[in-house]
Amino acid sequence: MPRPNTYALTWRLPIIVWQLLFFIGPLLFMIAMSFFLVKNYRMIEAFEMKNWVKMFGRNYFWDSYWLTLWLATLSTIVTTLVAFPASFALAFRTSETTRRWAIFLLIIPFFTSYLVRTFSWYTILAESGVINAMLGTIGIDPITMLNTKFGTIVGYMTLTLPLVVVLQTFALANIDRNLVQAARNLGCPPWRTILTVIVPLAKTGLIVAALFCFILSFGDFVAPYYLGGSKPPTLPILIIDTTKSGQQWPRAAVVAVVMMVTLITIAFTAITLAYRKRASA
Amino acid sequence: MTALVELEGVVKRFGDFTAVERMDLTIEQGEFIAIMGPSGCGKTTTLRMLAGLEQPTSGTIRIGGEMMNDVPPHKRDTPLVWQSLALFPFLNARENVEFGLKMRGFDAATRKRKALDWLERLDIGEFAERNVDTLSGGQRQRVALARSLVTEPQLLLLDEPLSALDAHLVIRMQSVLTRLQRELGITFVYVTHSQSEAFAMADRVVIMSKGNIAQIGKPRDIYRTPANRFVAEFVGRNNILSGTVTTADAAAVQIETPVGSFTVTPEGPPPAIGQTASFVIAADLVNITETAQNTGNSLSCTLISEEFIGSMVTLFLEAADGTEFKVQVQERALGSLDLKSGNTLHLSWSADNAHLLIGETE
Repeated sequence: MPRPNTYALTWRLPIIVWQLLFFIGPLLFMIAMSFFLVKNYRMIEAFEMKNWVKMFGRNYFWDSYWLTLWLATLSTIVTTLVAFPASFALAFRTSETTRRWAIFLLIIPFFTSYLVRTFSWYTILAESGVINAMLGTIGIDPITMLNTKFGTIVGYMTLTLPLVVVLQTFALANIDRNLVQAARNLGCPPWRTILTVIVPLAKTGLIVAALFCFILSFGDFVAPYYLGGSKPPTLPILIIDTTKSGQQWPRAAVVAVVMMVTLITIAFTAITLAYRKRASA
Repeated sequence: MTALVELEGVVKRFGDFTAVERMDLTIEQGEFIAIMGPSGCGKTTTLRMLAGLEQPTSGTIRIGGEMMNDVPPHKRDTPLVWQSLALFPFLNARENVEFGLKMRGFDAATRKRKALDWLERLDIGEFAERNVDTLSGGQRQRVALARSLVTEPQLLLLDEPLSALDAHLVIRMQSVLTRLQRELGITFVYVTHSQSEAFAMADRVVIMSKGNIAQIGKPRDIYRTPANRFVAEFVGRNNILSGTVTTADAAAVQIETPVGSFTVTPEGPPPAIGQTASFVIAADLVNITETAQNTGNSLSCTLISEEFIGSMVTLFLEAADGTEFKVQVQERALGSLDLKSGNTLHLSWSADNAHLLIGETE
């Protein structure tokens, strides 16, 4: 038996205790709660499949599930594509100093509450907002942007875009420039190096950035509620609604567990893909 | 022979820094040329300009008679073997070799056949489907070579390709490279800081110093008749003495130096009397004896140390005024020489073996 390394253990202990107390503990409790029952607006400890059967049997649950999955996927695709040119420019076309300032500026939005930033979109997207006012001056009728899926995606991107740009920039800036030049030297035109060399080399970082975007979007309550109009509800909104209507905490727990399982599956797949050595065996 | 590469008055500046001050060089079709010099001499910049990875600030570069100054790298056929090899880690050995063919629009079957042919030719066919990370340094080197040669270029550029290999692998790869170059009949431009690599492989060697060409010549000429003090010192194992010309005619030049007066046979027109001049005497052309030689060029020195590298021994000595001398002798020719440091030994050499550098001083 190897002797336990007390030094290492001492340093690791706080994080282990923290994780046990505030993550594993509540998670286990939430799983247990999904089997509880509610009678007369009060929760009773039990081990019944009722909540699971009920939620899985309802169309509105599945509608909400697929909607959330779709919106988070769309947000990930759009954010990744919108961020890439910016990250590319920062990584390859700017000086070290400019890049440092840009990363600093990209972190600044996180100083302000995400909720505040979301509300500020009202002044821009509303029927009488900035965009519609400008469209009005050239004689175009107002476009409805609030309380639409478009609004939700804008909200998601408010949260994720700066982070994705930062992560992508790091991934791209770490690429060995010789490999890009080697591709050019072997007859690869500049625009083609992006797909043939740069993306494969930055693959790990790009996938991790996209994963963060997906996780944040999938679990976000603010954007779909305030900018997306909450109808139909995404899963986080469904959780709130379920707890509010008749104290159905156990059914909300079912939704939460389903969300956890989905995120764990996607995160695991993404990380596996990110670190896989080669695309084809 | 026809010229394949012509550099005419090529200058390259990066901001205030001048990497190449002036480069005039013609490289023949099928020639193996080595560009050698200390780091920062502009040899790699020159190579990168040939590949189109840098544009010359002024001057012209022609390849195959065509003006290449503004031709981007991907429109040239000038593959480069990188010092770091720059193999693509996300592709296996075969896919790495196929890369250039893919860019040129060859179909998958042709690409595969050509790539496997080249890997086979370089004796690494069995590793075709292996991830390049799992290959040894020598194998990776061969993948890099195959990747550059598979498109059948007229010109191959090599940037210190052997610098990361073990000494015994360097010798093996040198023979692989020279054999390939002879078989293919294409031009190799080989940048290195290693004299042994350059001298062993190249038809001609270009010595660069501070962005200029210090000398161009066959390895033997560079070694025996360095054009200037820089080359004489860079090539190493040379003794250089400087002084004033006291007598001079077509047959003999007498130079008065701080350690004595020596005779040199001039190869060209003799210098004027009173002019400063240096001469080079290679370490392996100096005789060393225990008793004084009173004929010709001779000198007494104190032995400082010796360096034994197998069949050859280098002796380090000092003249009365502190001038250092190097003498290289066959180990078996040392005989009964008493090599205790501090001993006095006598050096002598023939005036014909000394090489005159007119006007060159310290």
